[in-house]
Amino acid sequence: MTNKVLLKGNIAIAKAALESGCSCYFGYPITPQSEIGEFLSSEMPKRGLGYVCAESEIAAINMALGGTATGTKVLVSSSSCAVALMQEALSYAASDELPIVLVNVMRAGPGQGYIYPSQGDYNQAVTGGGNGDYHTIVLSPASVQECADFTQKAFYLAQKYRNPVILLVDGLLGQMAEGVEINTNPYQEIDNSSWRLDGNKDRTSRKIHSLEPNETALNKHIVEMHKKYRYIEENEVQCEEYMLDDADIILTAFGSLSRHAKAVCNYYREQGVKMGVFRPITLYPFPKKRLSELSLQAKQIIDIEMNMGQMLKDVQLSVLSNAQISFVGKPVGSWLKKEEIINIIDNIIKGGVNAGI
Amino acid sequence: MQVFNVPKSIKKDCTFTFCAGCDHGVAIKLVAQVIDELNIQDRTLAIASSGCSVLLYNVLDVDCIESPHGRGCAVATGAKRAFSANGKDNIVFTYQGDGDFASIGLAESMHSALRGEKITAICINNTNYGMTGGQMGPTSVLNQVTTTSPMGRNEQYHGFPIKTAEQIALCDGTCFSARVALYDYKNIINAKSAIKKAFEYQIKGLGFSFVEILSSCPTNWKLSPQDSHTRIKEELSKIYPVKVFKEK
Amino acid sequence: MSHIKINEAKCKSCYLCIDACPKKLIQKSDNIGSMAQYTVEFNDTKNQCLGCAICAMVCPDMAIEEVVNDK
Repeated sequence: MTNKVLLKGNIAIAKAALESGCSCYFGYPITPQSEIGEFLSSEMPKRGLGYVCAESEIAAINMALGGTATGTKVLVSSSSCAVALMQEALSYAASDELPIVLVNVMRAGPGQGYIYPSQGDYNQAVTGGGNGDYHTIVLSPASVQECADFTQKAFYLAQKYRNPVILLVDGLLGQMAEGVEINTNPYQEIDNSSWRLDGNKDRTSRKIHSLEPNETALNKHIVEMHKKYRYIEENEVQCEEYMLDDADIILTAFGSLSRHAKAVCNYYREQGVKMGVFRPITLYPFPKKRLSELSLQAKQIIDIEMNMGQMLKDVQLSVLSNAQISFVGKPVGSWLKKEEIINIIDNIIKGGVNAGI
Repeated sequence: MQVFNVPKSIKKDCTFTFCAGCDHGVAIKLVAQVIDELNIQDRTLAIASSGCSVLLYNVLDVDCIESPHGRGCAVATGAKRAFSANGKDNIVFTYQGDGDFASIGLAESMHSALRGEKITAICINNTNYGMTGGQMGPTSVLNQVTTTSPMGRNEQYHGFPIKTAEQIALCDGTCFSARVALYDYKNIINAKSAIKKAFEYQIKGLGFSFVEILSSCPTNWKLSPQDSHTRIKEELSKIYPVKVFKEK
Repeated sequence: MSHIKINEAKCKSCYLCIDACPKKLIQKSDNIGSMAQYTVEFNDTKNQCLGCAICAMVCPDMAIEEVVNDK
């Protein structure tokens, strides 16, 4: 018997965070992720944990800097335009190597945009929205179950690699209810006693800082960070492959849109077209190596996104063959329907036209 | 009898890298003495901020994290809440300049005070942006000449300076707010007792405690260390009165 | 005998201690310090030091590292 319950993605994330041993939540309301903070505002005080409804997203993410520095697991959640406000501290966290877990339940931009769903923050999350030469690990769930599972994974990876992790959630997943089982945290606890700031009782005092006036030291620090990123790429890259064994047309999609891609794939398989779906789960590091291998057998690669082609660049960089790369996308609003996608793909297959929306 | 030696909470053999005559060194010494006297060195977390005040972490022998510019009180809030969530009674304090605390970080500072966060904030007010070369700051007084108010701060053109300790005292979550100065021995001793009180208030868990320290910036004021102290005594302390504004 | 210990390497020649000493026992030395100016020295031939530690408290660089009060 499973303990499946019907939950919104936002609530699943909050519950999974508690299950991961998260002791503090800092946030500021913004649609479509407010339920995370609302849920935790009643749960955290009951458990003697920390909850602050911060005065701004800037304050919230900086509280996370302080909280994680003490070795405590901290969750911060927000949405697109407000995640933009957090980029300064995220850049600090990357340099300070602090394991902040940040949930971005995406809405539409740029600017204020609207609360329509969108996947417009791929670049913000993957290429780093803050200053300097850094990366955050980015996980992309496609279901409410994965919202919960990846939240737990996010805490684990953040602690393991001392690096901020972003859970990049489609707005509709945050708001959509699905059957989900909140599992006991499957990951081992990471010992952080070698770096946390909890008082210099039996050791020399420590400092966590990103300011580094020494040129050699700063170079060394950034090179070390990038060695870590390469290690993460070798060990933690995750992707989902659907009917790819003999596929000569590969659809690429991330997040919940990959479910539409699978439906499209099923349709074409019935027509006898050898199609498959490649879905990156870690958006950073991008599963480049695997897509490169797969691209060697493919004639066509069609990238589908709810934006104007942000992951497309990573797809293009991965493809090593002469396979034709096309893009199907739409910036905001109702997710591209199966039929809409099929219409465009029909054109692409027929005429090889690099179709837009 | 030894009546003075380098505080235990100052790192061995470190050299202060502030300009000659800068009061930052005195302020850090007082903080270190207070940490020693309260016997909290092994459970204190210092939040250093951007500007000259960041150099605190090179000299103070406690755990330390550097905060983004202005966000000291938010970082301190997160750390204190995290300690508390884990049943720890660690002491958290910020060491910020006036630009950090009262300009770019005013929202974080004031809301931490309003929430009554059980942290201590120390704000070095030297009426300009020191590290960047003496630009007009939120506390630059009227008529003060800086590199960005070359004709003097004009109330019509530049607006008015902020009286930080008074503002923080108005917040209901504040349990202690004082302004002190360091221009002579008597004031230094008073400053130390205010800093000590601020830490004691945190230890008692009574709320947000705050000390604004009127400090000299001889390099950017283009005055000798002696004349800088005279300026604080005769000019600044008339505009920024040295007193305790709130004590719960 | 009350006295102080000055670490000249830390002295930045601000001379705040010279003004602060109630007995005027601190003066400029003949040594050039880190700021390319004369550092200070403690000169108490008549054993007048009060051991009050005012000099150490006003020194911004903690160059006055020790004060002993034997009164």
